[in-house]
Amino acid sequence: MKPKVAFFDFAGCEGDQLQIANLEEEILDLLGQVEVVSFREVMKEHSDDYDIAFIEGSCTRLQDEERLKEIRKNASLVVAIGSCATIGGINSLKNYQNMDDVKKTVYGEKASLFDTYPARPIDAVIPVDAYVHGCPMTKDEFLHVVKSLLLGKKPEIPNYPVCVECKKNENVCAFERGEFCVGPITRAGCNSCCVNEGTKCWGCRGMVDNPNENSQKEVLVKYGLSVDDAIGKFKLYFGWQGKKK
Amino acid sequence: MHVLSKEDFSEFINSLIAETSLNVVGVKSKGEKFAFGPLESANQLRLDYDVTILPPKKYFFPQRETLVTYDVSSGYQSKSLADVKPTIIVGAHPYDIMAMLHMDEIFRETKSDPNYLTRRNSSVIIGVNIQNMSESCFASSMGCATIDYGYDLMLTDLGDKYAIDVGSHKGADLLNKYSKNVKKALARDIQSVGKKKQKIMNKTQQEFGFSSELIPEMLGKFYEKTSFWEDHSEECLSCGSCVLVCPTCYCFDVMDNPDLSLKTGERGRTWDGCLLEDFAKISSGENFRNTKSARYRHRYFKKGKYLFDRFGFVSCVGCGRCSSNCLPDIANPVNLFNDMYDESLKIGIQIDPATIPDIKIKTGDTIDYAPKIATIVKKVPMTANETMFELKLDDGSELGHQPGQFVQVSVFGVGEAPFGVSSSPTKKDTFELCIRKLGNVTSKIHTLNEEDKVGIRGPFGNGFNAELLKGKDLLFVAGGLGIVPLRSLFNYVLDNRNDYGRVILLYGCKEPRELLFGDEILSLADRDDVEFKSTVDRCPENEVWNSNVGVITTLIPQVDFDPQKTYAIVCGPPIMYKFVIRDLKSHNVPDDHIIVSLERRMKCGVGKCGHCQINQLYVCKDGPVFNYSKIKGIPEAL
Repeated sequence: MKPKVAFFDFAGCEGDQLQIANLEEEILDLLGQVEVVSFREVMKEHSDDYDIAFIEGSCTRLQDEERLKEIRKNASLVVAIGSCATIGGINSLKNYQNMDDVKKTVYGEKASLFDTYPARPIDAVIPVDAYVHGCPMTKDEFLHVVKSLLLGKKPEIPNYPVCVECKKNENVCAFERGEFCVGPITRAGCNSCCVNEGTKCWGCRGMVDNPNENSQKEVLVKYGLSVDDAIGKFKLYFGWQGKKK
Repeated sequence: MHVLSKEDFSEFINSLIAETSLNVVGVKSKGEKFAFGPLESANQLRLDYDVTILPPKKYFFPQRETLVTYDVSSGYQSKSLADVKPTIIVGAHPYDIMAMLHMDEIFRETKSDPNYLTRRNSSVIIGVNIQNMSESCFASSMGCATIDYGYDLMLTDLGDKYAIDVGSHKGADLLNKYSKNVKKALARDIQSVGKKKQKIMNKTQQEFGFSSELIPEMLGKFYEKTSFWEDHSEECLSCGSCVLVCPTCYCFDVMDNPDLSLKTGERGRTWDGCLLEDFAKISSGENFRNTKSARYRHRYFKKGKYLFDRFGFVSCVGCGRCSSNCLPDIANPVNLFNDMYDESLKIGIQIDPATIPDIKIKTGDTIDYAPKIATIVKKVPMTANETMFELKLDDGSELGHQPGQFVQVSVFGVGEAPFGVSSSPTKKDTFELCIRKLGNVTSKIHTLNEEDKVGIRGPFGNGFNAELLKGKDLLFVAGGLGIVPLRSLFNYVLDNRNDYGRVILLYGCKEPRELLFGDEILSLADRDDVEFKSTVDRCPENEVWNSNVGVITTLIPQVDFDPQKTYAIVCGPPIMYKFVIRDLKSHNVPDDHIIVSLERRMKCGVGKCGHCQINQLYVCKDGPVFNYSKIKGIPEAL
């Protein structure tokens, strides 16, 4: 019997689910292996009978925790997809601000009607079995993780930085092009896609397990970034990881 | 020496490009930098480059490549190399040519790597003498700024023409077939080439304040200087850039990539680096090089000492790529070795030029990365996490192992992992593996059943020398899973019992329920030709244990043995060795009477990928069984 899969979204842009909807020819091969029972972005039907839950978005309200716990109860495997779900993502930028100000900025006069709390990744609320990092995640890595899970294998996600892939791809180092890059401490697995396209790494996959953050900051400053801006570089995607430490 | 006008040289290159049977690559600009890439026209060539981002080794040892394909119904198949086109590499600098010669030795030693050597042997190297030197280049210090061999053709820019030195028949044939108007060089051309080479040799951007011949000896004196290594590696990002751009680095990782059908797929290899945090980490979580300073030091030792001891060369050619690619600027060998030299003057260390070690490079068969298929004929659960699998090779052949050797076991789409064979070679038709559920491969194997198929490569490595032990008293000391490889020798000895003296087995595990081969082992108590003692670290209240409680070393004083006649054979978790060896020595067991079997992260199994390296030794090739006297001076071993 094919495993049943369901997709869920929390605070996020749904860009990761869009990557799945955009799988094109591979989507048929994928549907040969799994049965999709819930996927709001592409279908109307919904069922709570599923084996694998893919969760996009970060948890930003207390009441989201209940829904997450419910999903965890139903699923035998929970997979976080995309930066918001895996590392808190850019939603965690608000964690550096006053929550009331945040609400006022977003909801204006109606701010009091809405709840919010510091954004966090899914595994801050429930145990997560596998991660598909990235903002958005890449189709290739999504398929890699799905195939691993279907084979009963823990997906192998690199614990080395983006520099490794950048070097293999023979990119001119972003620093040598005058860019400020956080690839040296960001978890690889994206095939250094942003640098391949001529920009820099923003850190959307989060930091490696044991980053040398001080050295990364010193490098940014050495290449001409102000100390404040160097610290700012860490807030964009490393907000939750950084605060947790 | 010959000369060719620049116009005719372009014609030469263009006619090579026009030949569809050839893959013509050369140095082109890439942004502000340079890189080797496919040539569409000779106009793209930038032979005035300083250094390319990656060295040309990528044409023989690509960043990623398929080693083996598989189909669950038919097994594993080596990737065919029949379609490898001859690659003409235009514009290799002398240091990169020297690096290729180093790589050739490495990929040829003991067992030859077919993927590397097929590509390498069909290639043609058109070198060029350096015209512009990169800021970080120290090739002169390494004697690699110019080279007189190793190329098929070597170019020197003489303004309106190139001087061409023919270095091989292959080069001569290429020139004859594809170029026009090649002229004999005049005396003054030969002189200008000589002068240019002289100038390059003397011109150096960075240099050592001492002779590079001192490097191996000097390193040997600095291994233990922990603070020296810590200070130099403090800012290391563990990003691996220094090793990934290195023209002589050859470590790789191996992984399976299943197709979406999950029935077919490939096993590939990709560049890896010893500077990366998890490089020497095994499934149990143990990381044998877990600090950045240990990894940083390993890089220098590998290049400057271990490869020197194995091949007679310091495996650095001075290209300077490591230093120009290191963002915190700590990877420059010139700075490090100059600091080391200064320090040794300060503290008065005497360094003699390293003598070239006595080297016998062995070459052997070609590696077959494709596993054979074996069927699980019996599956016997032993404990909650360990299961014994009895396997039979489908082609009907015997495994043919020595006690103590290991095999690489593959599970389709999941990967490959090493296991010591636990049955004696006297058991011929089948062999046994006792596997603990720990990582991906081992967990998946536990879901397989009788009749299911796995892949097998091997047997690999150095086993126990059962001949040498004949007539001796044997003291087996096994901790936990360490009983598994020891059992292959132990059972062999029991099957040839008259050839050996006393046989003593000391076996310990954490708790009674973790005891392996329970019935088999406990029944030893009934034999009068085997002395057997067992222990557990602790016995929980709900379990029964009637024997010793305490760590394995508590058993040693309980047996009386003659240290001169006894050989101790030791295997267990990494932490165990130190203590057992200490106690054996205190019982006057000579060092060369202690034999150990070690565990490391073995990927290729044949001494290439670098993961299982302990200082200069490869556990997969030189071990896993070692005589303690041979490894006691090796800091990473125990």
